[in-house]
Amino acid sequence: MPQPQQTLLRNRLLRAFSADDYARLAPHLQMTELPVQEMLIVPDKPVEHLYFLESGISSITAGGANGRVEVGMVGREGLVGTVPILTGSDRVPHDHFIQVAGEGYRIRAQVLRAAFDDSTTLRRLLLRYIQTEMIQVRQTAYTNANFTIEARLARWLLMCHDRLDGDDVPIKHEFLAVMLGVQRSGVTLALQNLEGGGRIRGRRGRITVLDRALLEVVADGSYGAPEAEYARLIEGA
Amino acid sequence: MARFFFNLRHRPGPNGLAVDPEGDELLDVEQARAHAISAARDLIARTRSDSVRDWFACAFEIVDEAGRHVLTVSFNDTIQDNLPED
Repeated sequence: MPQPQQTLLRNRLLRAFSADDYARLAPHLQMTELPVQEMLIVPDKPVEHLYFLESGISSITAGGANGRVEVGMVGREGLVGTVPILTGSDRVPHDHFIQVAGEGYRIRAQVLRAAFDDSTTLRRLLLRYIQTEMIQVRQTAYTNANFTIEARLARWLLMCHDRLDGDDVPIKHEFLAVMLGVQRSGVTLALQNLEGGGRIRGRRGRITVLDRALLEVVADGSYGAPEAEYARLIEGA
Repeated sequence: MARFFFNLRHRPGPNGLAVDPEGDELLDVEQARAHAISAARDLIARTRSDSVRDWFACAFEIVDEAGRHVLTVSFNDTIQDNLPED
């Protein structure tokens, strides 16, 4: 199997691997298509593969009788499946599924786990990555509790925009309602508000980001801190 | 089953209507009313919007697939749970 060259990768975490860590794991990376709705992790089932996303977006959702809501987002900055494998817990209660189609490198859990046990540099990097996931989730909890639906939508769109090529976010209002934990009509209302200011253009099944800077104003401070922490912890920014 | 679109009226004029592009498949008008009441309750209880100062000034203007007006459900109807005569 041809091995991808590290500098040509788009996954920011893989790019941050030391040369030795990357050389060890590269032969085990298997390019995989990730179609919409593909389940990368099924709740309470053993995780056998982890996924370094190269493109597309994976959502982590929590749900039950009271509905379903997104509690985490992983794209080309991340590795889906890190927590259950590195902690040795082997499973998690939340599903991870593909929200925006893309592709990624799949690796067997045992292979990554063995490298994690052997390599100090890999351990340091991946533990830091787990911290960045925690920071994102805590920020989401804060944002969902304290911000208007417009600010939350703006933050979510900025997070998607960071993870996609181009300005189009392919998503239906119905899914956006799950992503933000609000009624679909709340999403429609917020989209209308953001469209009014020329910040986005919404069409059926797609939202186009027109002005990132204006979206950041709407996000009202809810966006940015976790992203800066990622750059600091993973890329040494 | 029919598809109902729940346009949200939040202030007067053309810019005061958030048009629902997707709609929901529901059995009949009664189910559409129940759906509107439930959505309105949830919005009132836990959603803050920069566009809306007072949820009770809002209404769902429900239309069918052809864009014909089917029913208007005021957010006030969530309180009395009354059956308006429109």
